[in-house]
This record gives sequence, C-alpha cells and structure tokens, in this order.
Amino acid sequence: MRYKKVSGEDLENLRRIVGEDYVSTDEDELAANAIDAFPGEFHMPEAVVWPGNAHEVARVLAYANENRIPVTIRAAGTSLSGCVPLYGGIVLNITRMNRVKEIAERDMLAVVEPGVIYERLNEQLSRYGLFFPPDPGSAVACTVGGMVANNASGMRAVKYGVTRDYVLALEMALPSGKLVKLGARVFKTSIGPDLTRLMVGSEGALGVFTEITLRLRPLPRKMVTALALFDKVTDATDAVYEIVRTGLDPAAIEFLSRKTIQAVTQFRDLNIPDADALLIIELHGRDEHVLEHMRDVERILERHGAFHIKSAEEEGERKRIWEARKGAYPSLLRISPSPLTGDIIVPISKITDMVAKSYEIAERYGVDMGMVGHIGDGNVHHTWFADRREPGSWERASKANEEIVRYAIELGGAASAEHGIGIEKKKFMRLQHGEAYELMLQLKRLFDPNNILNPGIMFDLEDVMAVELP
Amino acid sequence: MQSAAQLRELLGGYASEVERCIRCGFCNSVCPTSNIPQAYMGSRTSRGRLVILQSIITGSREIEFSNKLLDLIDLCFGCRRCLEVCPAGIPIPQIMWSVRSAASKMGLPHASWMLRSFVKNYDKLASLASRFPGLANTLTRSKLGRVLAERLLGIDKKVELPAYIPLRHESSINSQQRLAYFGDVFGLYHEGNVVSGLFSLLERLGYGVEVPRGQRQAGIPLLELGLLDEARATARRNVEILSGYVERGYKILTTSPAAYLALKQDYPKLLDDTNARKVAENTIDAVQLLNELVKRGELELDGGGREVVYHSSCFSQATSLSGAIVGLLNNAGFKVVGTTPRCCGVAGMWGLLREHYETAKQVGSALFNELRDAETIVSQSETCRLWMRSILGKEILHPVEAILKYCKA
Repeated sequence: MRYKKVSGEDLENLRRIVGEDYVSTDEDELAANAIDAFPGEFHMPEAVVWPGNAHEVARVLAYANENRIPVTIRAAGTSLSGCVPLYGGIVLNITRMNRVKEIAERDMLAVVEPGVIYERLNEQLSRYGLFFPPDPGSAVACTVGGMVANNASGMRAVKYGVTRDYVLALEMALPSGKLVKLGARVFKTSIGPDLTRLMVGSEGALGVFTEITLRLRPLPRKMVTALALFDKVTDATDAVYEIVRTGLDPAAIEFLSRKTIQAVTQFRDLNIPDADALLIIELHGRDEHVLEHMRDVERILERHGAFHIKSAEEEGERKRIWEARKGAYPSLLRISPSPLTGDIIVPISKITDMVAKSYEIAERYGVDMGMVGHIGDGNVHHTWFADRREPGSWERASKANEEIVRYAIELGGAASAEHGIGIEKKKFMRLQHGEAYELMLQLKRLFDPNNILNPGIMFDLEDVMAVELP
Repeated sequence: MQSAAQLRELLGGYASEVERCIRCGFCNSVCPTSNIPQAYMGSRTSRGRLVILQSIITGSREIEFSNKLLDLIDLCFGCRRCLEVCPAGIPIPQIMWSVRSAASKMGLPHASWMLRSFVKNYDKLASLASRFPGLANTLTRSKLGRVLAERLLGIDKKVELPAYIPLRHESSINSQQRLAYFGDVFGLYHEGNVVSGLFSLLERLGYGVEVPRGQRQAGIPLLELGLLDEARATARRNVEILSGYVERGYKILTTSPAAYLALKQDYPKLLDDTNARKVAENTIDAVQLLNELVKRGELELDGGGREVVYHSSCFSQATSLSGAIVGLLNNAGFKVVGTTPRCCGVAGMWGLLREHYETAKQVGSALFNELRDAETIVSQSETCRLWMRSILGKEILHPVEAILKYCKA
C-alpha cells in the first residue's frame, strides 16, 4: 500500500478546513503525537490536525481519502495497546472537541463530544446525582471518544457493565466525508442491525465519532468495601464464584496476587500481612440492603478460609482499603521499569486454571509477574516484569504474555477485555476470531476502501489488502 | 545528534527518570498549564514535555537543543502537583530544572543575565531596601520603578511590586521552648508586621523566638531557573546555620510554604547529608504549631464564625500544610465556607514576568471566577496573595494574618 506524503499544498488545504492555528508540522508537536501509553517506538506523523466540529472532521477525512493520506485518530493518547501513526500521514487529534453538549436529567442521558475527559464528565454529572459508570484506570486522563473506540471498562464492570452498555447513539464521520447518525435517544430499540454497537470497540477502523449519546445511572447512595486475605489463591477464587452467583450484586471484586501484595506493602504505607491472594469487594445500593449484603459477603469469605477480613463504610477507611488496589500498578512499576501489561479475560469458572497456568508460565520463562484484576468478571492484568534496557528482557516477557493469551482464548476467553487491540495484539486477531476475522476485514474494506483510517491498528494492513470483497 | 548525547550526560540520573515515564497523562489532569488555550497541543502539556525529552534522549529523532524547545520546557512552573498523581513517581519538576541547568551549560541560558543575578541576590537587595523602606516603597510604587523592573528584569509593569515591611524583632530566648525563624524573603522583608505579630503571640504563650542572622533566601526560584549550583550553595549555607540551632534544641519555624518546602523536601535531596535531614525533621510551620496549641487548649481563638474561603496554594498542597490550615481556621472559630485547590497561575516569579503574564492570568481564570464574590480569602503562599490581590483587587490574608486580624485571643 502506497500512501501519499503530506505536501505543502495539502497543509494549505487542511488549514482552509480547520483554521490556521489548528494544523501543525512543528517537530516537537509531531513527537508529542507519535507515541502513547503503549511501551512502543516513536512513529512520527507528518502533520497534526485539530478539527473543531463534526463538519471539519468529515471534511478532513474526505480530503485525506481523496488524496490517499493515512489518518490516525488520537484523543488523550492513553492507549495501552498502541494507537500511533505507523504509516505517518495525519494525526487527527480530537482534543478540541471536548464539550458536554447536553445533560438530559429526566431521560438520564448525556450528549457529548468525543474529546471530553471521562472524569470531567462525571464531575458535571454528579451535580445531577448521575454518573457514567465504566471507570477505566485512566479515568482522570482518558476521553469518552477513546473509551467508546476501545469499549473500555474498569473496576465496576461486574455490576454496571462496560462502555458498550451505555452508548445509545453515535454521530460519526466516514472516510467518504459523510456524517451519519446511528441509534436513538432511548435504551431499547428493535429497528434492524445495531450499527451503534458495531462501532463500539471498532478502534477507529471504520469512522470517527463526532458526537456520543450516553445512558447514565443514578449515583449509588451507599458504598461498603471489604478487604480479605487468603493463604491459597484457590480459596479466594472459590469465594469469588460464590459471591457472584448468590445475587449479592457486587459493584467490584478486585484481586491482587502475592507478588503484587508484596509490591504494594513495600512501596505504599500499607501494612498487609503476606498472603497468596487479596480480594477487595465493594457493594453499592441503599443503606439497609448494602449492609445486610456485606454481612453475607463476609460470611462467604470466612467460609472459604479468608484469614483476615476488614470492611468499611466510612469514606476515609474505604479509601484506605482501595489504596491497596490503586497503588498496585504504581508499586509494580517501581520494581519493573518497563513492564508488559496484559489484559486477558476468561470465563469465571476458569479463573483458577488461568492463575495456575500463569505461575507455571512465569517460572518456565524465568520472568517475575504480578497479577491484579477485575476478577469478578474474569479479567486479569498480568504485569510481566521487564526492562527494555536489558537485552532479551522484553522479548521474554512478550513470549510469556503470548502464552497466557493463547491459553485464555483456548479457555473460551479473550486476548483483551478492556484495553483494545491496537498495534500490540493484532497478531491474535485470527486466533481469536477464526473465520469471522475475514468478515471483519471485509467490513473494514466496505467502510474504508482506501485504507486511510488508523492503518495497521487492530487489523494488519497486509491482511486488509489481501481480503476480497464478496 | 551531539546535543542529545550532551543533554543525556548533563541530565545525569534524570535522563533515566525521563525514560521511565509511561506516558499515562495523569500529570496533565492536575497540571495548571492544562488550562491555557493552547493546551489542545500535546507539546504544551506536562506529558508532552516529557515525551519530547524522551524522543531526544532515546535518539528517536535528531534535534538540536534550541530556545524553542526551552520555551516549551518553560511552561512547567514547578507547582509540583504532578508529583502527587504520577504512578511511576517521576520527579517531573526536578527534571525540568535540570533541563534548564543543562541548557545553560550548553550555552542556552534560560533567563537573562540580569534576571539571574537578581534572583541570586534578591535577599541581599531586599535586606538593603528594607533599611530604607520609605524610599524603597516610593520607588517600587512609582511608574519609574515598574518601568525599571520591566526593562531590567522582565517583570511585567502591571504587577504591583510588594512593599518593604521588614521584620523587626528582639530575640527572646529565655524560654525552654525555643524557635528559630527561617523566613525567606517575604517573612523577613515584606511581611515583617505579620511575622512580628505571630512572635508576640507565641511569646505570650511561653515560646522564645530568635531570627538566626546570616540566613539566606530559601532559593526555590533558583531551582526553577535551573541555577542548581547556586541553589545548592544557598541550601548549604542555610542548613549550616539552622543545624546549629537544632543542635541546641531549637525547632525551626516557618511561615512561608516555600521556606517549609525547601527545608523539608528540597534541601535533603539537594545536599543529601545528615544535617539537612535533621533540619527537615525539626522544622514546623506556624500553622501547624498554632493548630496544635489550639487543639491542646493552650491557645483560645475566637473568629466569631467569620466566613472565609481558603485557597490551597500549590506549595501548601505539596507540603500537605493545607490540612493544618483548614484545621486551624476551623479551630480558631472561622467558618470555612469553601476550599479551592485551583492554581492562581503565578507560580512564584513565573507569572510576574512579562512573557508569562497573560498565560498566568489564563491559568488562574477559573480560580478568579470562583473567588470573585468571596469576602475573606485566606492563602498561605506569599506570591499567590500578591497576585490574587492585584487581579481581584481584594485583600488576601495569610492564615496567621487572618487570626491576628479577626480573632480574639
């Protein structure tokens, strides 16, 4: 595939579309848009373009499509899987489109531009007693557009679900320059194929979101949090199965493995006894129910051999419990300067097998590894210790991670639960989807016949070029 | 590629700190410069600055170290909020100071010779001016004074320069509870009236307070301009003097969050010696001391329920003094009707300079809107008060000043 380089004339035309100040070829600006939170290489774009509204996005896409210039879409640049301009061209940066356009209190929905930062949106919604629940780890920095593109989620998915469950409608710009509206301002429809849901998690391969309509939830009135420690990880996973299936409706069930517990104890001011597994369970709801349910949770934890249980209602104490979870990744980072972070998910009945396999792989490759994860839905993040400055270290970690990904797929799970495919995991697409991968490639060709959108991200460019349209 | 290798060498250990950045962007969420209109550009953000440095240090692109790059680095004004949120614990402000220092050594000084000399010697100049406060204040308030400040130092002529009100104090050391005051320039030369009011209050409670002679400025502006050798020399001098007092059983008392930050965090890192750590361990800020005295029932204050809004300055947050301040105000009988952590934009000297003045106002605009209707505003940082006073046209008080002014003791 040969793309056209961005010329002086192209720059002039792009400036005509978005305005003089919103096109840059400045070296430092290009560098700032050449990499994200995925530990990869710098891939310099040739220009950065910041559209201010949907029409400008559509016109930039039409121009790029006509001139065969690759366009990489960028929001806050917090992807852990890599969404970078592999083939140069334009970075279409949507950070200027950051307005909350409407909060419809009665309909419990919000209409936003894609560049709104998740936490800023929730700050505004909290004034209405509402929130948009998915809560990814990068909540303070990531944008709603990026969340929709990756179907992001976080610690509350076990109760509230993921981004996909909240996207009611989308406006998007297609490579042809067309603006289309998908979905409606209601939470159920029976009106033909659901293109809205198809777009969630499409990682910018099919079009660019310009407006997002989100379903909202009322903020919970009461939250109770418990921490439990286990000598055996299998006891902890058994407790998880029972909590999930007994209708206690947990809002979060988080897990830390031994290595992670040790890291947190070392680097945070937390005094946690040595244990094989740590669970944090949180319940949300109305006063009497939540407290009653928490007593049930405690009984389950005890029955499964937790040797330490602490629960808290008061905000300060709850925060203290969450310190163990929120400090996990930062603490692991202190031990391993450039770790490889995984994002697998398995059916929850297979968690025990997956954990056992993880330890076996780590030992076989001689790679240290800490696990932390949203175990209530089967999603675990492996942090494979690596140091890019040490020869062979990154490669070993990659191989170990690759094995656990293959095993997760074999168990009926997935290569990624919430971080997305990006440039990192596209090698697993065929294994994950089998025959359906061809369909996806055809879909890509249908929406983006000239392959200008996010080339090399999620779909390997060669795979896209090789596929025949039916 | 020579300048990349040179930069790496000059940054020393900070080069690997730059490489450790995982580019998560959390620092952007608290960085005051995320409020400027150009912050849609990655290069104008906190993470962007680190990414640009990464791209140079890792040899990902060939670039000459230039003034243009320094202008981007210059947007970091050292508020230290990022230190609270960075998951990797990267010392971001310290990296930026080192880059400025490296630039200077590579023949690209960060500030004019005149400004650097002024910052190096400001305490000496202020000491001199304080001997003739009438004359000095006439000059600084005059149009001529402001024009000179702009022409010679680059301080924007719209800035109201602080008045000289020197601290005059007779030492009173006939006490078991001895305090040695480390004032930095505002406590010693610009707000001496407030500090001497504090001393009188403490002396009534049985404390003896001494002002060690020969102490120099705290020196944080030196760090921010990348004058690291000078900052280290100043720190060494202050630690030498103050550790002598600590040896004799004194506690070191501060009123400025910058002075407290320097003694508690910066000097131990800059000097890495036992004396600096001893001084750090024995330093207490006036707000902590007063709050303790009130809590222990040794001091009764009655603010009569007066409503105050507390502005938590960047350094009050970085030192965790804000908790003590809100506690003190509440315990002193004030009603704290609001607390705002927003940055005012001035960041010590940064916003006072002509080249930054308008950007600093943009950074602070959200805060100014928030404070516009507040009647009594309290903030611990001296330059924040100076700046907000000039923008809002309101009195902004140091917490101790609010107590001296409104409380029945």
